[in-house]
Amino acid sequence: MTGTWTDPTSAFDPEKPFRTVTTDDYMSPEAIWDETRRFKVPTYGVGRLRYYYKWPGHGSMLWRRLRYWPTRRTVLRFRGEYNPKTLRREKTIVDKRPIWWILGFIAMAIAPLFAPEEGQGALLAAAAVFFIYAAINLCWMLIIGTAGIFSLASFAVAGAAAYGSALLSIQFGLPWWTLPILGSVIGLVFGIIIAIPAIRLEGFYYALLTLGLVELCRVYVIQSKVFGSATGGLYGADSYIPEDWSEHAQLMLGYYASGAVMLAALTLFRFVNGKRLGRILRMAPEKREAFAEAVGVNYRAARIWVFLISSLAIGAIGGFYAAHFRGASPNLFAFDTLLLSLSMLVIGGLGRAEGAVVGTLIVVFVDRVLIDWGPLRLVLIGCLMLFVVLFLRGGLFGIKPQFRAWRDKKKSERRSSRAEKGGEMLPEEATETPDKDLLFFRRFDKMQREFLKKLVTDQVIAEHRQNPLGQHSEALERLLTYFRRQPTVEKYAITVVEPFKSYRLVALSGVRGVAPRLVEDKIYHSPEEAHHGLFLRRVQDLLES
Amino acid sequence: MDWGFVFANALTLACIYGTLAIGISITWSSLGLINMAYGFIFSISGYGAWLTAQHISENGLIVILAGVLTGAVSGMVVCALAFIPIHDKPNFTVRGLIATLAISMIGTQALLWYFGPRSKSLPPLFGDWSLPILGMNMTADKVGAVVSSIVLLAVVLAWMRSSRRGLEIRAMMMNPHAAAIVGIGVRRTGFYVMALTGGLAGLASVLLSQTYYIGPFSGITPMIKGVSVALCGGLGSVLGAVIAAGLLGINEAMTSLLLGGHIVLITQFLLIIIILLIRPRGIAGILDRAREA
Repeated sequence: MTGTWTDPTSAFDPEKPFRTVTTDDYMSPEAIWDETRRFKVPTYGVGRLRYYYKWPGHGSMLWRRLRYWPTRRTVLRFRGEYNPKTLRREKTIVDKRPIWWILGFIAMAIAPLFAPEEGQGALLAAAAVFFIYAAINLCWMLIIGTAGIFSLASFAVAGAAAYGSALLSIQFGLPWWTLPILGSVIGLVFGIIIAIPAIRLEGFYYALLTLGLVELCRVYVIQSKVFGSATGGLYGADSYIPEDWSEHAQLMLGYYASGAVMLAALTLFRFVNGKRLGRILRMAPEKREAFAEAVGVNYRAARIWVFLISSLAIGAIGGFYAAHFRGASPNLFAFDTLLLSLSMLVIGGLGRAEGAVVGTLIVVFVDRVLIDWGPLRLVLIGCLMLFVVLFLRGGLFGIKPQFRAWRDKKKSERRSSRAEKGGEMLPEEATETPDKDLLFFRRFDKMQREFLKKLVTDQVIAEHRQNPLGQHSEALERLLTYFRRQPTVEKYAITVVEPFKSYRLVALSGVRGVAPRLVEDKIYHSPEEAHHGLFLRRVQDLLES
Repeated sequence: MDWGFVFANALTLACIYGTLAIGISITWSSLGLINMAYGFIFSISGYGAWLTAQHISENGLIVILAGVLTGAVSGMVVCALAFIPIHDKPNFTVRGLIATLAISMIGTQALLWYFGPRSKSLPPLFGDWSLPILGMNMTADKVGAVVSSIVLLAVVLAWMRSSRRGLEIRAMMMNPHAAAIVGIGVRRTGFYVMALTGGLAGLASVLLSQTYYIGPFSGITPMIKGVSVALCGGLGSVLGAVIAAGLLGINEAMTSLLLGGHIVLITQFLLIIIILLIRPRGIAGILDRAREA
């Protein structure tokens, strides 16, 4: 690793041979810089970074927006920005949910065409049940998620509306299209009755009370002769499905009609949750009512409104239920139904429309299609629900934000555990230093010292002993320049005790008027010797730093 | 009107509901958990007692003990599943409620799957005698139910007043954070509480099975009744639960005598709603935010 350095000043005296010294090879001072700057912290693959597809955007189309009536919203929410590298206009879709919804609607519309031939009837019937349950769950989600009222009575409202309208239809021979209207009236009345305690009670008191109400309805319906305690349900209501159609056509009509009901429920959800009422209610979640009230949000009125609106809607869906199934069964009030529908909401994620729909899809699929499993399928649903509740914060659709939060936490943990990149100062010291140049200087100085340490070799020391002053090889020159540039405080110097006879090493105080202190007892007998001793001392200090 | 009959019925019902409601109440106030798996604990301890009666012994004491033990063990299982993992996580109350509901669903369906839908009945635990007191005829099961529930409740309350563990539980009921700060293990106390309340549910189950049957879903109605009694008495108050159990027991006995059995639930809930409208935190519930954790 050693090279040979030729003194360029040898050329001044061509009589003599060139002076050469063995010395270090050339070493780039940038090597240390690059090595220090290199990212040596182990990074673990925690998912990929956020990635958005960038659509090209034309300048003239910048302000063109497609809005849909009656809202002032654009069909897709875009963010327009300039790419800082290419300086081109780009568009990013901020919220891709509308795309997924539309794809889902298309899938639902064409799904019956692709249903397998055998078991098509069961599948279509299950799909109709899914649509109706999803509609009820969407309205219920308004109460539980948006309004934050933990009411368990929504299936009781639906059941009451179904029973009431079916009874009226049977008694008075009312046509099918009156059933949802009757149902909504019954639902509204029920909603008002249930809402009265909701004004005074809070949280769990209300949940337990409504649970009791459901049980009350169940026992009443099971025992009441009018509601068919003997036949296990009330059947014979008028239906919108004509009896004389073929079975397949009846199923298809039921499928699309229930699908339309779910669409209507989605629209309602969107208009309540996404507008003024929803904003007010999300302003006043449970346990922060006092704050909302203090800033002038009338959350009580908003809660009652949401409650009544969704009771009305649930009642209408109950009426549709009666018209769809030609009656009602006490199953609507069963504790299991309540649990299943709660699990639909929970699995999907409380407070989201897509959560209600997808959760219902999953649970209805397990419950209605895997019917061979017997009680095990409810066990499966229960396990799913338990898993979701124990490990997820917002159901299936909360996985993404939860994962991101976790990843951010991990990232910041790793960032804070990095000691190397922080430089010479401790992090807390660094934040409190007003002169940030100091941070960079110390860091630079550290890197420089690291580099210089590598230059200290036997050859360099031998070269200095031979020739302390005068032309030096590159390595030695770098070392000496660094030493020369050090501050005066505690800088070594040579003091002459007796000219040409004795020299000693001192350290300067750096303060005017204060004498330098003696460093060692050793006495050097020539200036060269003294220079070399001083050099060795500095090298020693450098290696120790 | 047969006042003696009404009184006897009311007393029996009050004792059984009180046993249930005090369990729910203690769980809520010390752990902050509404244990909706209570009905499942109720059913499974009935099955435990039934299995014991089938395979080990028909001795009343042993059967009761088996029911109480099964209840305590399943209470601890519920604690391990639904309290330990989430009690320090955000939104614990709602998540705990849903988790216990899920456990209830899994458990009852598993019972249905394993034992089948046919209900079982226990042998008479207290013999066949009857005791005329004050001109009314107290049958053995009623006397047994009243005596054993009162004895067990008295033992539990005395234990909670006098023992170290009871002190810990009461400290948790008053202020869980402060209790944790002075070194009371939240998780350990959770296990004690759930074992205790599970045992109480087991006892109520065995006692009620003298009049009803044991089935996979037989726990739901008693649980809802127990929850309503606890609610009416004020969640977290043992005294309130006792008062409410007495009131609702009298109401149930009177209604079934005067108006007929099918109106019982309606008057029950009307009574509860009226009480809650007057006192939104129940009869003896602490007003305002006593427990925010």
